[in-house]
Amino acid sequence: MSRRRFVRGVGATGAAAGSIAAAGCAAAPWGGSDDDVPEGAEDYDTVISWHGGFADDESDDVKDDVREALWDAGLSKEIYVDIQQSSDSTDDVLDQYTTWLSAGRSDPDILNMDSGWTIPFIERGQLGRIDEYMSEDRIAEIEEDYFPASVDSVRDEDGNLHGLPVFVDLGLMHYRKDLVEAAGYDPDGEGWATEPPTWQEFSEAVGAAMEEDDGIENGFTFQADNYEGLSCCNFNEWITTWGGAYFGDHENLHANVGDRPITVEDEPVLDAIRMIRTFIHGSDADDTLDDFEGGISTEAVLGWNEDPSLGPYGDGRVIANRNWSYAAAMHAQDDDEDGAGFGEDHGVMPIPYAVTEDEAEYEGTGGTAAALGGWNAVPNPNSENLDAVAEVLEALMDPEFQLFVFEHPLIGNIPPRSEALEDDDAEDIPVMGRYVDSIRVAGETATARPVTSLWPDQSSATASRVHSALQGDETPEDAMSDLADDLEQLEQEAD
Amino acid sequence: MATDNRSASGASTVTRPHVAVANKLETVSEDAFAYVLLVPTFLLITVVAIYPLLETFRLSLYTDQLGSVGVGDFVGHANYVDVLAGARDVVLLSGFWYGVAITLGFALVSVFFETLLGLGMALVLDKEFRGRAFVRMAILIPWAVPVVIQGMIFYLLFEPSIGFAVRPLQELGVMSSTPLTTTRDAFVLLITADVWKTTAFMALIILAGLQSIDRSLYEVGRVAGATRWQRFVMITFPLVLPAVLVAMLFRTLQAMQVYGIVVTMSGCSTVPSLTCMVVESFRANRFATSATIAFLTAGIISIIIGVYLVKFVDSLREIGGDV
Repeated sequence: MSRRRFVRGVGATGAAAGSIAAAGCAAAPWGGSDDDVPEGAEDYDTVISWHGGFADDESDDVKDDVREALWDAGLSKEIYVDIQQSSDSTDDVLDQYTTWLSAGRSDPDILNMDSGWTIPFIERGQLGRIDEYMSEDRIAEIEEDYFPASVDSVRDEDGNLHGLPVFVDLGLMHYRKDLVEAAGYDPDGEGWATEPPTWQEFSEAVGAAMEEDDGIENGFTFQADNYEGLSCCNFNEWITTWGGAYFGDHENLHANVGDRPITVEDEPVLDAIRMIRTFIHGSDADDTLDDFEGGISTEAVLGWNEDPSLGPYGDGRVIANRNWSYAAAMHAQDDDEDGAGFGEDHGVMPIPYAVTEDEAEYEGTGGTAAALGGWNAVPNPNSENLDAVAEVLEALMDPEFQLFVFEHPLIGNIPPRSEALEDDDAEDIPVMGRYVDSIRVAGETATARPVTSLWPDQSSATASRVHSALQGDETPEDAMSDLADDLEQLEQEAD
Repeated sequence: MATDNRSASGASTVTRPHVAVANKLETVSEDAFAYVLLVPTFLLITVVAIYPLLETFRLSLYTDQLGSVGVGDFVGHANYVDVLAGARDVVLLSGFWYGVAITLGFALVSVFFETLLGLGMALVLDKEFRGRAFVRMAILIPWAVPVVIQGMIFYLLFEPSIGFAVRPLQELGVMSSTPLTTTRDAFVLLITADVWKTTAFMALIILAGLQSIDRSLYEVGRVAGATRWQRFVMITFPLVLPAVLVAMLFRTLQAMQVYGIVVTMSGCSTVPSLTCMVVESFRANRFATSATIAFLTAGIISIIIGVYLVKFVDSLREIGGDV
């Protein structure tokens, strides 16, 4: 969904979207029956099937462009990359991969995996190590140059890599710069694009902008429905920017299961919930904070995930919206016939914070933090063409190729490392080029979700308890105490 | 000649096998013959229903194994004890018994209203009036709507930023501002959506039952001086009861499996039905826990079927039907 939205937002016209000639279950290794050979691949020695590719609705033209760019990036001309369409529903894709890998299928050769569910496959021993067929230099390049949270999403507990981050989505604060400026603030002068204000300053700015403009119904919208997005992302950002954490230092996010401390009852976590309650229920309600501007968020956020929270922002009824990076492409374009574009009035900044990194108790917390989304290219360990797969991965790592993907009006995915975003060409990209600095900061400060094999259950418990506290069914103390018990019980299962 | 030779050597020794089987069947009793004809059906049921159920039961006797593929060690009935005693509540959205209460509550309340409204509709449609065919067709429209569309219709009605129904209901104090994420409100809305969609189904089955009633009975009742209510209680209701019970059985079974409408409207976290728990634990790689809840759900549904069958048989006996 995000990528399709992105594509739509960039406003490319004339796209042959929907003309997907999915190659179906083309058995990748060359040498299969003729029926297995994807159209256009007849003249190549090796066909590598890549399930997912870049965009949900890639047309044949886009696939051709990607193939050309991969060859330009050094991929052998003997290798044909067959990009296969995946489902719009990530749940369906996850189920599909679970089945395929459990069955030991050799096709597809490369699987696009959400950064949130790569680790459970690694833990179950269903993915191989890429250092077994990629050079040390390339592995070092991934370790050193890629956004740390992205690399962590393909790493096992021993530090070995099992896939390659291909593109990222990052949690960002989108806001109406014109409305904030009308309230007397100077986002450009204060450098909000790379140094966001504190949550307190942010809430005051939003409150002031609300007072300034009668047409604005809501100050700040976000996602607080009882779902994975609350636990992995919004709550994760809130507590991290307050110096709190699920399991103490962030090195425990993916490791030391069963032995790691459970820290959701700490005061910073409770304050993070109190802050959001202040935004929703006003500072006169129970369990809120006096120092923050209250009542700037509608109660409806308690039922919203990404799209519903973004809708009112796009309609011009909201001052700020926490959403993924693709939202900028949708609303920062110049006004189109739908009136959806705010042009340069659309501001983007990293997520505000409450305490600095120095003030935070746990390593990795404090300061701004962006939840990490995005996708990894993960080789199928049963593939019969792992050498060719390695070549494809190397081409995917080429900075020029990553810039091509970012620039391409029908793809527009954000590269998983700063280098590609620092390029002057990146800043010249229409619309998104204006926000590369914010994206880079968000990428460097991204915080991964604490994914382990226990995460599906821990995520469900977290979303449920946090939602309950935000709604007012439980106090923050009680909800986090219950959550700590839940997490502890689940952690014991890992022993 | 070949034919002559075969005749000469005795036809019985060269009769083709299927002919021999047919001859044999000629000699079996009528009851035995009926069972023979049912063999393919039994085989089919064994393959598509009984085997998966037994396999589910087998899976439920092992531990969850999160760190690898499949299930872990054999633990016998421990999963059942854990689930029923609440030891797995952390991984079951809100606890097994909560799921049972939600699911049974949904089934009972929705089927109650559907039966009541369906019976009313059927009684109306059983009368002769102008435009009856059109009305029959019109009430079927909700039944024809796919579950996902049904869910989206109600989602859009009660989504706070779009739905026009939220604010008035909130001001009346009937609902919260976020009804789809508040369990109590969402539960009520799910029942409303289910009643909206499936009442027509009940009405059609009950109508079929009504139309099979011998009309001369009403003439007799009228001649005997029975009031309209007495005719309903003494003729219509007992005679239509078997059809009502069949309709209720179908609807109860469907309601016990409620999933699609929950996912579309409110999400499994808000209204954790038993099927939600099966799916969510399966997605969390807890195959054994998922199998345990699935088998328990099948058990509960079997009990419900049993209750209905007893009632059905009783109702048939009361009206002198053949059991």
